[in-house]
Amino acid sequence: MRGSASQLRRAISLGLITGAVMLYLVAVGIVLAFSARNTITGVVTLGRLMLAAPPLAAGYVVARRGTDLAPRLVAGLLLGAVSGVIVAAALLFASAVDIRHILVRISPPLLAFLAFDQDASIGALLNLALAAALGLIGAVAAVVPSRVRRPAITGVIGVVVISMLEPFLRPRLTDFKLEGVSRFLFTHKGLSIASAIVVFAIFAVGSIAWPRVRARYRARVAAADPGTQATIRGVTLLLLIVFLLALPQIAGSFLSQVLVFVGLYTLLALGLNIVVGYAGLLDLGYVAFYAVGSYLTALLTSPISSLGVGLPFWVALPIVILGAAVTGLFIGAPVLRLRGDYLAIVTLGFGEIARLLFLSDALKPWFGGTQGILGVPPLFGVAKVSVPILGWQLTGPTLTYYPLLFFCVIAAIVATRLKYSRIGRAWNAMREDEDVAQATGVNVTNYKLLAFALGASVGCLGGAVFATHLASVFPGTFNILVSITVLSIIILGGMGSIPGVVVGALALIGLPELLREFAEFKLLVYGGVLVLMMLLRPEGLLPDRVRQQELHEADEEEEPGADGGALTPAEQG
Amino acid sequence: MRRIRRVSLVDIILLAIRVVVAIGVVIGTYATLSAGKLTWEQWRDLLIFGVAQGSVYALIALGYTLVYGVLLMINFAHGDVFMFGGMTAFFVADALGSSGFLDANPIVGMAIVLVVAMVSSAAVAILLERIAYRPLRRAPRLVPLITAIGASLFISNSVRGLYGEQVKAYPQLKILVGKFEIFGVGILKTHVVVIVSALVIMAALYWFVEKTRTGRAMRAISEDKDTAALMGINVDRTISITFAVGGMLAGAAGVLYAIVFNQVHWFMGFLPGIKAFTAAVLGGIGNIIGAMLGGLTLGVLESIGPNLLLSGLGVPSPNQLRDVVAFSVLVLVLIFRPYGILGRPENR
Repeated sequence: MRGSASQLRRAISLGLITGAVMLYLVAVGIVLAFSARNTITGVVTLGRLMLAAPPLAAGYVVARRGTDLAPRLVAGLLLGAVSGVIVAAALLFASAVDIRHILVRISPPLLAFLAFDQDASIGALLNLALAAALGLIGAVAAVVPSRVRRPAITGVIGVVVISMLEPFLRPRLTDFKLEGVSRFLFTHKGLSIASAIVVFAIFAVGSIAWPRVRARYRARVAAADPGTQATIRGVTLLLLIVFLLALPQIAGSFLSQVLVFVGLYTLLALGLNIVVGYAGLLDLGYVAFYAVGSYLTALLTSPISSLGVGLPFWVALPIVILGAAVTGLFIGAPVLRLRGDYLAIVTLGFGEIARLLFLSDALKPWFGGTQGILGVPPLFGVAKVSVPILGWQLTGPTLTYYPLLFFCVIAAIVATRLKYSRIGRAWNAMREDEDVAQATGVNVTNYKLLAFALGASVGCLGGAVFATHLASVFPGTFNILVSITVLSIIILGGMGSIPGVVVGALALIGLPELLREFAEFKLLVYGGVLVLMMLLRPEGLLPDRVRQQELHEADEEEEPGADGGALTPAEQG
Repeated sequence: MRRIRRVSLVDIILLAIRVVVAIGVVIGTYATLSAGKLTWEQWRDLLIFGVAQGSVYALIALGYTLVYGVLLMINFAHGDVFMFGGMTAFFVADALGSSGFLDANPIVGMAIVLVVAMVSSAAVAILLERIAYRPLRRAPRLVPLITAIGASLFISNSVRGLYGEQVKAYPQLKILVGKFEIFGVGILKTHVVVIVSALVIMAALYWFVEKTRTGRAMRAISEDKDTAALMGINVDRTISITFAVGGMLAGAAGVLYAIVFNQVHWFMGFLPGIKAFTAAVLGGIGNIIGAMLGGLTLGVLESIGPNLLLSGLGVPSPNQLRDVVAFSVLVLVLIFRPYGILGRPENR
């Protein structure tokens, strides 16, 4: 009896929080912005789903505990109802009192949306009923066994994702002569009811079948002889390379533009990952290196820059990278003896100083002040390249994509090799405990400088590609938000993890580019991602194994293993 | 304990930076003063503006220092706590201003605005601590810092979404237009009000920390959290109170900032936040008097520095580089004297 009473109390307090979260989502404007996107045309929009998510999730959470069926379901229902009461009350209040001069998003269209285009009082009742139902559904999801829950959730995610991709899928399907598929899937910028059911079914069945297929495949590979295994690995790698090379052709020009941004940030994140993920130095001024790379490239290659030498990109590149490494050393050297959090703030200061200097009138003769530098030639000196046999025409983003892919692959290989080398182990030791590392003979100063210089070089490489891609550089591009975006990518993916970087860049750069409405709330989401990841999953989505152990080492004494055992005294000086 | 180090590349670079900065300061100052670019009155006005601005920084810096004292963490989102107070109080000030109440009862009106700002900032600060920092108290040092950066972004962009993107102009009080004559020197009335209010608030804070029971609890926690808990101090509650007090100071700073600059917007927390952090470090972080001193010093350096140093060095439009001066102070202080003016080197 007492257990269920406390569960109900918990349901009420969680319900209040859920209601507050829903009101926040409405007032901050994100719900209405997404209500323009149909998920299932005529049935539900993305904004509506967004508003439905909190009571669903909270209902699931509150009903997870307990043994008896009835109190758990009642708790979910109660929680939903409480949150519904809050939303309903707010709706009635906002319809009666005009608060638009304070909360600018509370507009008549928003209120109409909230009230399901009904009268405010009817709308309030509908909200109450809907939220209660959602809380109950969440509770049901917690009650049913996971072999039912998992396919259902995967199916819903599938429907949402496919409907979000509509603006890109539809034209591409048409290009590839698959108009029938496109006509079946989409009506009025969303899925039709029938196609939603089909998509749901495909994803649900997929989520049941996929683990079995994978397990069987893995078992067969494991049983095969070493020669065959090597062949399989080779073929997989080859397929991956072919896929990456063909990607811009499959994706089309708009998505290629998105891919270029994803690639650019992947490159930056690979560089920062060396500094933050490997060496454990939180650098908030990473944008400085990006800016230096861009400006150096522009100065050296643009015929109308203050230098006016107009070197070809590939000749300028070594100079740029060298310049970047030197900048990294000069910024790194003074700050190395600082403690972690001070180092973060100092590098942030350096980043801002760099931006302000590039912007200033004082250095206008060199960097052009607010006007920046124009006339940066494209990467290969020409605007268009035709690939002989395949007949591809590479221009704009598709032309930038290939060198960028090349740089990303190089950076990823270098980073991986470093990670498992003597240098990587020294960084590892340094990150875990600087004093102990020093005592075991790691030359902390030199290894920190090395991390800074390497990170700076990769950042500069990103800057160089960026300058040629835009054909110009402007100081406004290089603000602190770039540093924080790159940091968010690393945190989301998992510090020190290279697949994590790619996933992070896809989620944080690719998604906002695909969902234009999202762009406005991008920074809000980045902030939320940083906080939530640190609270819930500090090791990131695709964690690095060593890192994960570090963050969860409270349980038991960890073994030194392969990573700790090989620390021999490093040479001095 | 000084460790003996071999002279390395790093030492050489550090020495070079010291020399370059010292030479730059001396030459710039000499050139400016000998050229007589500004009159004595202009220097004086810059100085007073610097003090007014610096007292706002000092109020924010106190929040950093208080939190650092008890938790040993940099509350990166503190600048946004400051912004939130100023933004929220704007709506009250606007309503009072357009109804004429503010001009009829300026003191009561300003007090209401100030209280609203302080309460709303304190509320955000408490929520921030409860949601974002408390669960991470035992985590590695960088983890709460990353959370704080995220929280900063989250708060500022929430305000952008909730209150809108446009710059909001605070109503101007009629009685604050013009200058006071103090000892024959004309000082803008707004500057006088800001400096005096900041001093009063700082005195109140000093009394609170030194003389009250809660203040003693705060000091005990900053000495040793675990021992304080053993002595029967409710650590969680005291930390919440610390955040609340820091938030109140930041909220007050938000209104004073609005009085000096007449406007507020969603992104205004970033720069004053960083500068106030600089001020806190400059004075010696964790040290209350230090934060006040640091704030005033930074404010004055920022308003006089560009004219005194840079224009002497022949830099065109030096005032554009005000923020560069502030950030350079930040970088130089952290590199060469991270324990600040009043602090002592940490025993590592």
